[in-house]
Amino acid sequence: MNLKFSFRIWLLIILLIFSLLSIYSFPPTFLKNGVKITSVEANSTAFNSGLRQGQIIKFIDGVQIKNLQDFSTAIEGKFPSNESKKTIFTTEDSEIIYFSNETPNMIVSEISKSNLKLGLDLVGGARALVKAEGVQLSKSAAADLVSVTSNRLNEFGLTDLKVRQVSDLEGNNFMLIEIAGATPKDLEDMVSQQGKFEAKIGNQTVFIGGKDKDIASVCRGDQTCARVESPLQTQEGYAAKFSFEITLSGDAAKRHAEITKNLGINSTTQGRYLNETLDLYLDDKLVDTLLIGESLKGRVTTQVSVSGSGAGTTKEEAVKSAEENMHKLQTILITGSLPYKLEIVKLDTISPVLGKEFTRIILIAGLLALVSASLVVFVRYRKIKASLALILTSFSEIVIILGVAALIEWNLDLPSIAGILATIGTGFDDQIVLLDEANHEKFLNLKQRLKRAFAIIIGAYFTAAVSMLPLLWAGAGLLKGFAFTTLIGITAGVFITRPAFSDMIKRMEEGDTSS
Amino acid sequence: MEEKLKTSVTKFHDRYYKLLLLIPAIMLLLSFIYMGVFYSKNGDFVKRDISLTGGTSVTIYEKISVEKVQADLSDKLEDVEVREISDLITKEQKAVIIETKSDADLTRKVLEEYLGHTLTAENSSFEFTGSSLSNSFFKQLVIAVIIAFILMAIVVFILFRTFVPSMAVILSAFADIFMTLTTFNLLGLKLSSAGIVAFLMLIGYSVDTDILLTNRVLRRQGHSLNRKIWEAFKTGLTMTLVSIVAVAFAFIVVGSFSAVLTQIFTIILIGLGFDIFNTWVTNASIIKWYVLKLKKNEPKI
Repeated sequence: MNLKFSFRIWLLIILLIFSLLSIYSFPPTFLKNGVKITSVEANSTAFNSGLRQGQIIKFIDGVQIKNLQDFSTAIEGKFPSNESKKTIFTTEDSEIIYFSNETPNMIVSEISKSNLKLGLDLVGGARALVKAEGVQLSKSAAADLVSVTSNRLNEFGLTDLKVRQVSDLEGNNFMLIEIAGATPKDLEDMVSQQGKFEAKIGNQTVFIGGKDKDIASVCRGDQTCARVESPLQTQEGYAAKFSFEITLSGDAAKRHAEITKNLGINSTTQGRYLNETLDLYLDDKLVDTLLIGESLKGRVTTQVSVSGSGAGTTKEEAVKSAEENMHKLQTILITGSLPYKLEIVKLDTISPVLGKEFTRIILIAGLLALVSASLVVFVRYRKIKASLALILTSFSEIVIILGVAALIEWNLDLPSIAGILATIGTGFDDQIVLLDEANHEKFLNLKQRLKRAFAIIIGAYFTAAVSMLPLLWAGAGLLKGFAFTTLIGITAGVFITRPAFSDMIKRMEEGDTSS
Repeated sequence: MEEKLKTSVTKFHDRYYKLLLLIPAIMLLLSFIYMGVFYSKNGDFVKRDISLTGGTSVTIYEKISVEKVQADLSDKLEDVEVREISDLITKEQKAVIIETKSDADLTRKVLEEYLGHTLTAENSSFEFTGSSLSNSFFKQLVIAVIIAFILMAIVVFILFRTFVPSMAVILSAFADIFMTLTTFNLLGLKLSSAGIVAFLMLIGYSVDTDILLTNRVLRRQGHSLNRKIWEAFKTGLTMTLVSIVAVAFAFIVVGSFSAVLTQIFTIILIGLGFDIFNTWVTNASIIKWYVLKLKKNEPKI
């Protein structure tokens, strides 16, 4: 057999290898043992011992951990206990010593077998589409809402979540919240109630967010009133100071003066501050503590400068950390003062129970469709090699779609899977055109005949591709997955797999005539 | 055998191809009349399920009698519909799906009272869509289908650059979609958002064979017109049949499991059936007429 492949077949092979690498990584993820830490409670003993999200635990006290079962056996055998015990967690690159009498405060999960991310409708989870009641959100208002909400939900300890802004064909802006896996019980309340913000000195409230509008405005993104200063060298690396201004209402300013009037003054190396701090509470949780400059004592002022700092080992890191801290603080100050009520327009909580079953059914359906189609082709053309090549081509299209999906971390939801099935369908059509054209008009050479076939295929490609475009925007993008997988599939099909298929036929035909 | 069949079909076609156009014309007319009546009766050109009207869909992973739930809940919840999900091979019931126009809170309350236990994230799934959102979804998806159709038409015009053949392709794609929609309504089905996506898919599927036919007839030199149409017919029919077989198998497997995929496959199956008819009756007759007329008007030397 002649092993000289054409350039197009090589291109297909290379792309397939890349796709498989993108789906499974190297070395393949399905060969890995252990459990992955999905979250660690902040400031818990587990966290302070060095256990972090993303680490893969391979051994506990020298016993190999292959799956979740091994993990629970190892942990439940030891905790909780009356006295503190030493436990050694061996991760991929380190050994972590945990010393406590309490069960480590973390959640672990099985290592996923591939890099593919399945959508909520397959793995379970919750999704909420939120809009402002009675008002049209502008793009920037929606962006504010998104950052405010994700901050709040993070305060609730929900980390495996995505909050993003989506818009639709009618120009409505929404906030989309997606939480994979478990559904938090009071998600609805968490989302629809706005955060309660309070700033206190001691136990006296200086200003609150919300209806009373104690905070008239928070300066953001304006260099004149919100900035990060150039970093200074410290013993550990660098530190950068940030400051931004907020405007208080007259009432809040008076209250501030009244409370600070009687405070004493502390002198520190960084300056002179009042002896009580300004504490920021979000939903009754302390989120930040600020020092109050000496000059503000007892003064009625509506312009207040809030400052803080960020640190890092390099100048860039320090600036970045300062920017992050500033952004966080600004968001907290805005929280609770959203000028509208929120309305959940769509709320899905999907149980993970049927997900696995569902994936299995879809695989069977896809496989049966592939096999039955190639059988029909075999019956029609009586060419076993061509039928096999047809399966192979359709199969490579699926692998390429999945490879791209893994690469860009696309969530494969039900619409995306329907799109993959649609691609297989058009794939068959094109391959049959190729097979038929190769058999006809023998007075033209094979190359010309296949070229003609591509005229038809490209035409069909463009009509199918343009008909998918509106779906990328319609319906808040909830059906985007369909358009996405179809577009990737037919594009890879028309430019890579189907040309390679045509070359395969050419080789088969030429092989047949020469023998 | 093929030759014999071919000659008899061509003979028949040569004689009646113009008359054949009456069939799709009458069918389209009947579809229009039916849709007109349907619209005046329902105030909409299709019945929509809760994904497009707003409401709640609950899946409960228990064995519950579908008929009983349906009967017991119909006066407590608005527009209740109950279906079951069963295993592909054992046919054992795995869950029930309850759909209602009522909101999620009320549905949850009623169901928990009825079942006598709480519904958690483990034993159930809730999907709620507000009615204003669903209405705007529906509007946008319909617009998406219309835009997709127009874009497809533009591409077809760019491809063939002649009016009659391009219009023939567009007309048969339109007839395809319209007849599918009519059949969908005749079957008494309710459209979901996934179903609209299936109509989008149909646009792509239905022009495939039309492009094949037009391309072969207009671009190929040498053979007689009838032979070109016949060859295209053989290829095109294989294409559509392969798709039908593949979709039918997927349909059977997914059948009782996913309402979303079942509806997509149902619409595509109906559409592919009409595609055979519209490509090889409607489009083929028009293009034959067009080419023969062109030939007649050619100056003879």
